[in-house]
Amino acid sequence: MTNDSVRSSVNGCIVEATHVSRIFSMPAGPVTAVADVSLRIAPGDHMAIRGPSGCGKSTLLHMLGCVETPTAGTLLFQGSDVATLSDRQRSLLRLRQIGFVFQRFFLLPMLTAWENVELPQAEAHVSKPERRRRTQELLEYVGLGARADHRPSELSGGEMQRVAIARALANRPGLLLADEPTGELDGATGEQIATLLDRVNADGTALVIVTHDQGLAGRATRVLTMRDGRIESEVQS
Amino acid sequence: MLFAPVTLRAVDDPPSILIARQLAESDRLTVGDVVRLSRSADGGDARAFRIAGIYEPTPDPLRLGAVRREVRLHLPDLLALTREPGVPAGTEYVGNINVALVDPADAQTFSRDVTMRMPGVTALPATGATGSTGPFVVLERFHMAIAMVTIIASTVFLLALTIMLVDERRVTVGVLRLIGLPSRRILVQLFIEGALIAIAGAGFGLLLSLASEGLINRFFQWRYDTALVFVRVTPGVAAVCVAIAVPLGVGATVAASWALLRRSGLRLARR
Repeated sequence: MTNDSVRSSVNGCIVEATHVSRIFSMPAGPVTAVADVSLRIAPGDHMAIRGPSGCGKSTLLHMLGCVETPTAGTLLFQGSDVATLSDRQRSLLRLRQIGFVFQRFFLLPMLTAWENVELPQAEAHVSKPERRRRTQELLEYVGLGARADHRPSELSGGEMQRVAIARALANRPGLLLADEPTGELDGATGEQIATLLDRVNADGTALVIVTHDQGLAGRATRVLTMRDGRIESEVQS
Repeated sequence: MLFAPVTLRAVDDPPSILIARQLAESDRLTVGDVVRLSRSADGGDARAFRIAGIYEPTPDPLRLGAVRREVRLHLPDLLALTREPGVPAGTEYVGNINVALVDPADAQTFSRDVTMRMPGVTALPATGATGSTGPFVVLERFHMAIAMVTIIASTVFLLALTIMLVDERRVTVGVLRLIGLPSRRILVQLFIEGALIAIAGAGFGLLLSLASEGLINRFFQWRYDTALVFVRVTPGVAAVCVAIAVPLGVGATVAASWALLRRSGLRLARR
């Protein structure tokens, strides 16, 4: 699969979920995190998923990103049923087609900002000159061209999140998934990250954000509200 | 043999003897000194001998810690010294003879030959003379038991240590899984790291054992005043150690890594 094929996927969708559910087996009994959710994400979409804690929005995001697989329903990524893909195939989808941004950044602490951004490209077998060019471009894109040699411990929270965004974009994914990307940042820094994410979306990457932040959700063109594992409402602007 | 060395000088041409290094050191005797030896503790019938040399006694584990106050005499001198008064010369006999073969591998054949050709004489190879209960056989079994217990305990310890080391990297492994590295790719990476650490560890262990071999030998040789070798790291022993250590290290790393990789990347990263 190529990035171009993502943008021109089946029915114009990157992801199509049909009646998907996710039930976790717990010692106290099964817990339904997501129940009977159907949605489609098209190239260039800007979607926010809101809802109270424990409503299943993060689990839905992880299913959209092929980290979790649905226990019921069908989830097609670029036309392929995720449930039929092997662990390796799902891993390669995440590596090449999906970018992830997490609340707690999840940068590798022993690597510099440059190395963190370069790593997914190296794993995707991008040539060294191309990696160098792309890493430089991405760090400048997120405004950290001068901090390339700094390790995460030498960066502020906002800077770490910008490195995480650059890393998520390293292999030119068609879909960027962000789980509470401003959750650990102060208001001003969160605003900078929100603006950066807007720019990423404006440049053609579909963006799905899980957030409690009403301001961040308000920037999306589609806002899904979840409750008890189900989509309660969807507002389009 | 009992003896009472008394240092004398300028005795006319007494027969020569060799004395053990330990005896020379304890009694401050040197080559050329003349001593008087007696077969009885009271020093009766003592004869004079000149020390012609000092020798290092063959190390004997069964006599570890014993002070080797020994002398070696020419056979006629020994017989003359130890013969009871009134016993004519030439009536002595021997009960045991040690025979050194050019090729020790011929011991079994040689003993069979002697037993067949000389009825009444029993010839036994020295290594099998004491049977399966000889002190060295028992000692070797004891060493084997200690080695097995050590290896089992080390394996448990190594596995626990490896699990802790791999677990320290659970966040890294989780992040790598989330950004899309397949489990097998991470497992191979951890396998290579485990193999390198195991090889380096085995090499370090060998160097340490080689270094401590000298120290241990020197200490106990000094402690027991012997030339006995207490520890010897042979190529065979080293090869066995490496053959056990490297697969154990690699196996422990793979087992610990596999246990980690079976968990969700998200759960690992969240720690």
